[in-house]
Amino acid sequence: MPNDSTLLKDETAVPDNLGDPAWIRIRDLVYQVSGIYQAENKFYLLVGRANRRMKAVGARTPREYLDFLTARPNRDSEMRNLLNEITIGETCLFRSLPQIDALRRVVIPSVAEAKRKLSFTKLRFWSAGCSTGEEPYTLAMILLEETQGLLKGWTFEVVATDLNDRSVAKAQEGVYNDYAVRNIPPDFMKKYITKVGADFHVADSVKTHISFSRLNLLDDSKMLFMRGFDVVFCCNVLIYFDGKSKTRTIQHFYNALLPNGYFFLGHSESLYGISEKFRLVHFPGATAYWKSTEAIPKAGTP
Amino acid sequence: MNTETLGRLRSRIVNIDAMPAIPVILRPLLHCLDQPVEQVDMERIVELVSYDKSIAAQCIRMANSALFMRNSPAETVRSAVMSLGTWRVRDLLFSNSLSQIIPANRWVIDPTIFWKHSLGVALVCRKFAEMIEYPDPEKAYLAGLLHDIGVIVNCMVAPKEFRDSIENAMREQIALDEAEQATLGFTHSDSGRILADNWKIPSDIADAIELHHHIGDPERGGPLVALVNLSDLLCRMRDLGYGYYEPRQVDFANEPGWLYLLIKYPSMAEIDLARFTFSLDEYAREVGDMVASVFKS
Repeated sequence: MPNDSTLLKDETAVPDNLGDPAWIRIRDLVYQVSGIYQAENKFYLLVGRANRRMKAVGARTPREYLDFLTARPNRDSEMRNLLNEITIGETCLFRSLPQIDALRRVVIPSVAEAKRKLSFTKLRFWSAGCSTGEEPYTLAMILLEETQGLLKGWTFEVVATDLNDRSVAKAQEGVYNDYAVRNIPPDFMKKYITKVGADFHVADSVKTHISFSRLNLLDDSKMLFMRGFDVVFCCNVLIYFDGKSKTRTIQHFYNALLPNGYFFLGHSESLYGISEKFRLVHFPGATAYWKSTEAIPKAGTP
Repeated sequence: MNTETLGRLRSRIVNIDAMPAIPVILRPLLHCLDQPVEQVDMERIVELVSYDKSIAAQCIRMANSALFMRNSPAETVRSAVMSLGTWRVRDLLFSNSLSQIIPANRWVIDPTIFWKHSLGVALVCRKFAEMIEYPDPEKAYLAGLLHDIGVIVNCMVAPKEFRDSIENAMREQIALDEAEQATLGFTHSDSGRILADNWKIPSDIADAIELHHHIGDPERGGPLVALVNLSDLLCRMRDLGYGYYEPRQVDFANEPGWLYLLIKYPSMAEIDLARFTFSLDEYAREVGDMVASVFKS
């Protein structure tokens, strides 16, 4: 069994029906609808979780479940249920280490260098769809750490928003269980987390850099005010949107970013077919979308 | 690299006793590859596998591994080849014969990392070629497999300096060819070209070996060079590189090789690069199995 940080505690068995060809079609359907791609080494995860949904809806075979996912009237609600299952366990601090490496070793240095030339010494990050706060706290800890080195003398702000009031309230508390903090590197743990009983509390020195608020990403008038960000994270949120809403929201994110800013999705989420404004860029083990100031070359024009 | 240095390097490589010899089964394999996919002779492949006892044993072992085993275990070379499929057996033969070019104690870098990268680039090249409808995906595969052959040359002709280059590349987190240029005065692309010419490898593959880091004028090397260049970059961005972190951002759609292929092959514009990238994690697993089977003896 792969060593996988998104694995739930009870997910140790390989499902019996793993070899059923209908899973490939379900995998492709999930990608087509949501942009989330489950590579083969994560396939058992998709299958294991879809098996739980199969039981819940009473489908006997993956093929029957596929019918359930494609036929009205259930298809939209069932796809949502399946996506919920697939993304369970993805909320923990320091979830994607390749993304964090890309941020610290490529993105922050590049953004900071460009800003320094303009005599700016402040960075602004936005965690859009921050859920219960794991992502913005991770970002704030990383930025705090960078202000000891590369960003000495700089200030920064992390704006964290979510649609759900309860999530925002929970996020503001900054209290997590052992499962949510399992990926935090020991030196960060020591500096920024305090253990209180069975819980883990995020330090005030981290909290003070984050402003939490409720925001609906589909609210155009509110989205117009989100401007001037260097980096935006929006992980496993757009997967629930229909095509039109996705395109609209991506346009807002594009406008919210400064030139040369970066947009990060979940680690296996893609914008293919949704927006051509951003440039897909690769870092070791991670991808992101870049607001380049140059035009995107088209086929046939070198 | 200037002509004078290249000339000196060439004579250094060609005159050295340790010049790697072309593996015995590589020529018949190259010959097999010249034929259209549907005409590849299974019996010939079985024959080639049977030449070498250790390769035959590996085929049988791999055919009986959890990944490939059918209803009953394979006991003969023939049944092992049947259950693995001719292409996978060919992959195994290639990587095996190439890994025998130099003795185990002459490797300056970890051979498993080297072969994972080479096989990864080979698989990605072939897949890429199929996606853009390049007419010869198997040639693309071979070019990918051989693109770093100069690394083997460097292990043999300049082990100490080459070790320094690798350590330097890891420490400074720069590309291997940059580090080689600084320490050796030439790169594995240069020495690989010389070996390829010596082995009489087809010239377009030799071009891919020479130009895979800096493709220069894409018209010179043609699509094969661009394919290998992009596949090498993609593998390095997806855990199939040289085992160290290269802090860089790659904008594939703006790479000269990408732009060149866009003009030559219109289906290039349809590629969902994000999805292709995510699916590379599958290749990483396949490559890991293959390399493990070659080195477990």
